Amino acid sequence: MSFRKKLLLLFAVTVLLCVAVISASVYSTIRHSFEQADRDRADAVAAQFRSEFQRRGSEVERKVESVAASETVQRIALDVDRGASDSSAYVSAAHMLAAQQQLDFLELVDWRATILSSAQWQAKFGYPEAAIADAATPPTASPAGAFLKREELPDSATLGLFAVRIARVAEQPLYVIGGERLDQAFLSTLDIPTGTRVMLYQNLDPNWNPKSLLDLNGPAAGSEKIAPLVAKVRDTQKESQGVIHWSSDPADAEVFHAIPLTGPALGPSAQSANQPGGTQQLMGVLLVGSSRRPLIELQRQIISTAMLVGGIGILVAVLASVWFAARVTRPVVSLAEAARRVAAGDLGAKVEVESRDELGELAVSFNRMTEDLAQQKDRTLQAERVAAWRELARRLAHELKNPLFPLQVTVENLMRAKQKSPQMFEEVFAESTTTLLAEIDNLKTIVSRFSEFSKMPQPQRQPTQINDVVRSVLRVFQAQLQEQSQISVHSDLSEALPEVSVDPDLLHRALQNLVLNGIDAMPEGGVLTIRTARLGDRIDDRINARIEISVSDTGAGLTQEECSRLFTPYYTTKQHGTGLGLAIVQSVVSDHGGKISVESAKEKGTTFRIELPCETGHWQTGRT
Amino acid sequence: MRRIAYRFLAAINPARADQARAGTGTLARSCWAQLGSCPGSRQRLLRKSLLCAVLASAAFVPANAATRPRYGGTLRVMFQSAPNTLDLPARATPTDYEGTTYWDTAHVLSLIGDTLLTLDAQDRPQPALATAWRSDNSRRHWEFTLRRGVSFHDGSVASPAAVAQILAALHPTWNVHASADSVSIDSDAPLPSLLAELALPRNLLLKRNANHLPVGTGPFLVAEWRPGNLLKLAAYEDSWAGRPFVDALEIEFGKALRDQAIALELDKADIIEATPQATNTSINGSQRPSTSSSSSFSSSLPVELLALVFSSNSKAQDPRLRQALALAIDRKPIQSVLLKGAGETTAAILPNWMTGYSAVFSTQANPQHARALLAGAQLPALNLSYDPRDPQAQLIAERIALNAREVGITVQVSLSGAEDIRLVRIVLPSPDPTTSLAEAAAQLGLAQIGHTQQTPDDNSLDELYLAERGLLEGYAVIPLFHLPLETAVSTRVRDWQPDPMGGWSGPGFALADLWLADGRQASPAPDPRHEAGSQ
Repeated sequence: MSFRKKLLLLFAVTVLLCVAVISASVYSTIRHSFEQADRDRADAVAAQFRSEFQRRGSEVERKVESVAASETVQRIALDVDRGASDSSAYVSAAHMLAAQQQLDFLELVDWRATILSSAQWQAKFGYPEAAIADAATPPTASPAGAFLKREELPDSATLGLFAVRIARVAEQPLYVIGGERLDQAFLSTLDIPTGTRVMLYQNLDPNWNPKSLLDLNGPAAGSEKIAPLVAKVRDTQKESQGVIHWSSDPADAEVFHAIPLTGPALGPSAQSANQPGGTQQLMGVLLVGSSRRPLIELQRQIISTAMLVGGIGILVAVLASVWFAARVTRPVVSLAEAARRVAAGDLGAKVEVESRDELGELAVSFNRMTEDLAQQKDRTLQAERVAAWRELARRLAHELKNPLFPLQVTVENLMRAKQKSPQMFEEVFAESTTTLLAEIDNLKTIVSRFSEFSKMPQPQRQPTQINDVVRSVLRVFQAQLQEQSQISVHSDLSEALPEVSVDPDLLHRALQNLVLNGIDAMPEGGVLTIRTARLGDRIDDRINARIEISVSDTGAGLTQEECSRLFTPYYTTKQHGTGLGLAIVQSVVSDHGGKISVESAKEKGTTFRIELPCETGHWQTGRT
Repeated sequence: MRRIAYRFLAAINPARADQARAGTGTLARSCWAQLGSCPGSRQRLLRKSLLCAVLASAAFVPANAATRPRYGGTLRVMFQSAPNTLDLPARATPTDYEGTTYWDTAHVLSLIGDTLLTLDAQDRPQPALATAWRSDNSRRHWEFTLRRGVSFHDGSVASPAAVAQILAALHPTWNVHASADSVSIDSDAPLPSLLAELALPRNLLLKRNANHLPVGTGPFLVAEWRPGNLLKLAAYEDSWAGRPFVDALEIEFGKALRDQAIALELDKADIIEATPQATNTSINGSQRPSTSSSSSFSSSLPVELLALVFSSNSKAQDPRLRQALALAIDRKPIQSVLLKGAGETTAAILPNWMTGYSAVFSTQANPQHARALLAGAQLPALNLSYDPRDPQAQLIAERIALNAREVGITVQVSLSGAEDIRLVRIVLPSPDPTTSLAEAAAQLGLAQIGHTQQTPDDNSLDELYLAERGLLEGYAVIPLFHLPLETAVSTRVRDWQPDPMGGWSGPGFALADLWLADGRQASPAPDPRHEAGSQ
């Protein structure tokens, strides 16, 4: 990644991070504020509910007190005390009295806890009233305060706010139990803040009952989503809070505060709900819900603003990076370009020094470094040239010395024969001239090889099937190999090779040298293997499809040092080699844009691998 | 007091009452002689009930009741039901009997038309259009001698041919023939209860005019008919039983019981339907009825049956569940509190005064046995419906549901949804137990819910008991109470004779015989209905 891109990325990330941090901070603050507002509203509604509960409780108490003090109840109490058994006269009394006092529930219960008259369930006369009957000791005085109580009705049960008063005209008490429903009508009396709603779950059944969840309009819809929150309160009997998602839109969600409402477990004889330590049971759950829509909409606004700011920031970052690139990265880019030129071999590349800061100092250092490198290269080239001439001289001397010695000996023999035995001179002369001619041919051969190496031709490319070249090479050696029956040839040629643009003659010559090397490496016999294969199937900047030609022998193998010097001109491991064969091979392969490598293991053999690019077009070779 | 005694005697035996009025025997002797002629237990029951009725009547008879009857005035009657037709269905279904429409229509029609004969409370036939009757031993052939000189409201003579034509239309299976002064009925099957059958309202001898309004031989003729709303009847001057004292009868339909009570209070009605709540004491303990203290109340014998009936598609198909429900119901508190002590608890279809054996059917609640019956059973929730026009029905139904809940049966009282059980009131229209049992079975729809209507071949008590037992087997019906029909009458009405069977045209209890205090002074005419029949 370029420095410019990194700079752009850095700028963008920095801007985004800043925007994100600011947005998160703002959102967190706002959410905290909303949550606090939710809590405050829930607390306010709960307080209002308790206040209304208290007020309505007092009202119920007052109404029940009025009923207990009424002439009708006093007369009934007197009748009951006298032992009157005919309750038919009272059966509708509670209904009438409840209507007068606008009570939803009213029961007249005698001292045996038997219902004499019930307003809410007129047919229940004669049955025991659980609130009195279940009490350990029936109350002897009117209990203070109102309390929550489950009330059975003909077709259902409901929750009510009750009060008990005792009408005692004579000896035996007459209990007056009156109350009002705690339902949607009760909820409608609460002053609910905007964006808040209230629901009441009447805990009447051991299991969740959706019909018991009431809002201002009656049974609440979608109650099953409230169920887990209510269940949690039922389990813990403690206030709880939860977010209810009504739809996939988060703005439709509501935060609910669930507040437990408890009442005495065994009716009015148990301790009042308001008294600590009394046996309490969960009678209902007050649910105060606050819509998350304002919060979510604000959140969305923050996000959209943040995205807008972020986008603008990125744009600014791009512009800034361009400007910085122009101002800051130009010396760096020049330096990088100069470095690339140096890497490509142009040691004359210079960087313009525009400033005296670190980048300017770096440019000066770079220029100094390239000058040093150029001088170093010149010195190296000069030294190499001298070394090459020395090596060439050494090789020439060595090569020429070998035929010169027989020439000297032959000439000396001729001279001795001329002096000592002229009669044999003719015979010696004939033999010596033959020898001299042979050695002179040998010298010519040596000279022609050097000449050939110095005049390697440019490849004449044409579409060529590599396998055809390989087969033609094998045909050249076919007769020789048949004579040397101890060497077997194994060819493994891939048929999926494409045509490539190569010079078939040069490639033939290179392969011929490799095969010849292999045969020479196996004087005791062995297996010569030639393989062709296609390497890679993807063509891009890095990996080109290539063709591999490998020539393997099972000869004595080479040492590591031998392998490293194998392609050096005039280096040979043979007794009569010129050391130019593999150098020629490498030159051919290099001229075709390929590369050659060798793998060898002692006593196992040697493998030469040629990799050629399989592009069919022509390419620039490295040879000039 | 003499008038009261005369009324009692006229109710029991009109002939003897005529003798008493003619001075051929003392009134008191005639009364006791009449009581003495009643058989067995029924005699004792009759003595008790009628003495009570006499004493009750005496309590309400105003001081000026001894004055001579007055002609004129309009008697105003109110009904809760609102019939849209003045027809009784030829083959009524249980649905036709729902509410009081059927029987209210029957009451009205009994003022317009006559049956061949009537039955008194002792199940004795009394002459009406027929003055005499006889049958052969097989009871397949019956002959009825018709009253002479009777004409329909349209002036046509109520000849044997006309009567036979009406009867034949009502009973296609009978062979009805007319002779010079009589009508004969022949049937392939014996007709042992023919007299009780002919006394039923459905056998009123009525013709239809061009407007399809009933034309009969009764004391009143139709003057105006607004279906479901108002019926005006005018006195029939040529009634064979003598012209009614009132000039007209105005019957308003569709009046709620509360509205009726208010109308009576405001003196806008003379006769209304009443409930036990209205006739009993208020919660303040005073003996003050909710209606005007100057109005009077009358009750019939308990001729209404309040019962639970399981519908044919009820979820309670298991007889054990039905039996458990029957055992769960504690009838006594309902009767004493909700019904204000009116009527009597029962587990039988026919009331005890009619059969004398209803105590055999136990009314005792037994929740433990009920729970034992239900042990391990799958109990469906049952829907109990009731007639919303019945002011007592809802509370009774709720009490039954409460009783059922005590033994583990869930009964929901509702007017909507598929009903499993109905709380129904049916009328036992005849003092003849066999006929009433058959009528009850028809009204309860027992034939529809798998019971073959079992009618005893004869009137033996054993056969009757077995037939009733058969109907109650399987607990498709749970009888609860036998209730009287209650009526409230304003003080303007004089000589109001409460009919023990709750009807309006029974022997000695004809509505046509009452008169209004503000009517014209007139001499009572002899009543030609008081002629003896023979069998």
